[in-house]
Amino acid sequence: MSRVLNVVLAHTSPAEIARLAAWWAHVSPEESLLIVHGGPDAEFPALAVPNKVHVDSARLRTGDHPRDRQSYTEVFAAASAWLKGRDFSHVYFAEFDHLPLVSDLHGRLLAQLEKEKADVLGHHVRRVDGTGLHHYLYHCADPRFHQHWERISRRADKRTVLAMFGTGSFWTRAAFDAVAASAEPFPIYLELYLPTIAHHLGYRVRSLAEDQHLVSNLGDFRSKISDARSAGAWTVHPVKSLEGLRWRGA
Amino acid sequence: MKRFIIRKIRDLGLAVARLFASDLVDHRTGKKIGRALLLPWRGKIHVIGLELPVQVTFLPQERLTFWKQEICFTAHPEPDFPHEPRP
Repeated sequence: MSRVLNVVLAHTSPAEIARLAAWWAHVSPEESLLIVHGGPDAEFPALAVPNKVHVDSARLRTGDHPRDRQSYTEVFAAASAWLKGRDFSHVYFAEFDHLPLVSDLHGRLLAQLEKEKADVLGHHVRRVDGTGLHHYLYHCADPRFHQHWERISRRADKRTVLAMFGTGSFWTRAAFDAVAASAEPFPIYLELYLPTIAHHLGYRVRSLAEDQHLVSNLGDFRSKISDARSAGAWTVHPVKSLEGLRWRGA
Repeated sequence: MKRFIIRKIRDLGLAVARLFASDLVDHRTGKKIGRALLLPWRGKIHVIGLELPVQVTFLPQERLTFWKQEICFTAHPEPDFPHEPRP
């Protein structure tokens, strides 16, 4: 029997996180939600959710995410440590502003994972080695980048580099724990690091169907939730605040 | 404020570059992959305005020519690697 843990990364106020927990409660019971709090230390005790961990990491609180090489490695490690001894089989990881729009999200994701025979599903998964992708070229300036994959890879082609949006992704427990247990050798931007480490550890990384999700790296889709639902979207990103919003989902 | 001004200047520069840009076609699929201005400068070719991650290669020649070669662009196929369990 599959059991999915929603790992939601949030740095917003306790009131906003309470609204977030209420929103996610339409998808699964509150004991299946883990809030990874990346906000101010002083606000952590005030979070009114049953499952929470605090991550105090400079790699999380970056200003210019690609240039500062924002990392979720410590977030994954904290969530994986929390999962020890618990029987969750899969993890749905989401940033606070990546919201579910359907109550059977887990069933849909599990079916998609099975259909793709995948271990990881992400948004806009692309192969980028040898290309002009700015994030990739920025990391190529450091010779350790490709050397690292060549050292740890169990793949025949050790030069493969993948990229994906980091806002929401679905993982088998084995893939999530394996990535969480891997040490990030030097700062690598999460949109390259997460899919590439999973790939070189032997896990199959596939893209979510983009017509099922309204996902962008810019803007605020708060006013587009209704349209996204009508178009059949499973999730939406970004929605920066839930204040005044009601679920209204299926 | 300084960052905002720099961004606006960059956007304006990109808009001008796109006026003179060329359509680029993926050599593998034949599909249009975007528009870019290609500028030779100091021994390199500067690619301005291209948004998709593509590789650059010399096009194979069915007829040998000594005086001309073509550079083309192509994107990787969608990643479709199998699960490889630990040994």
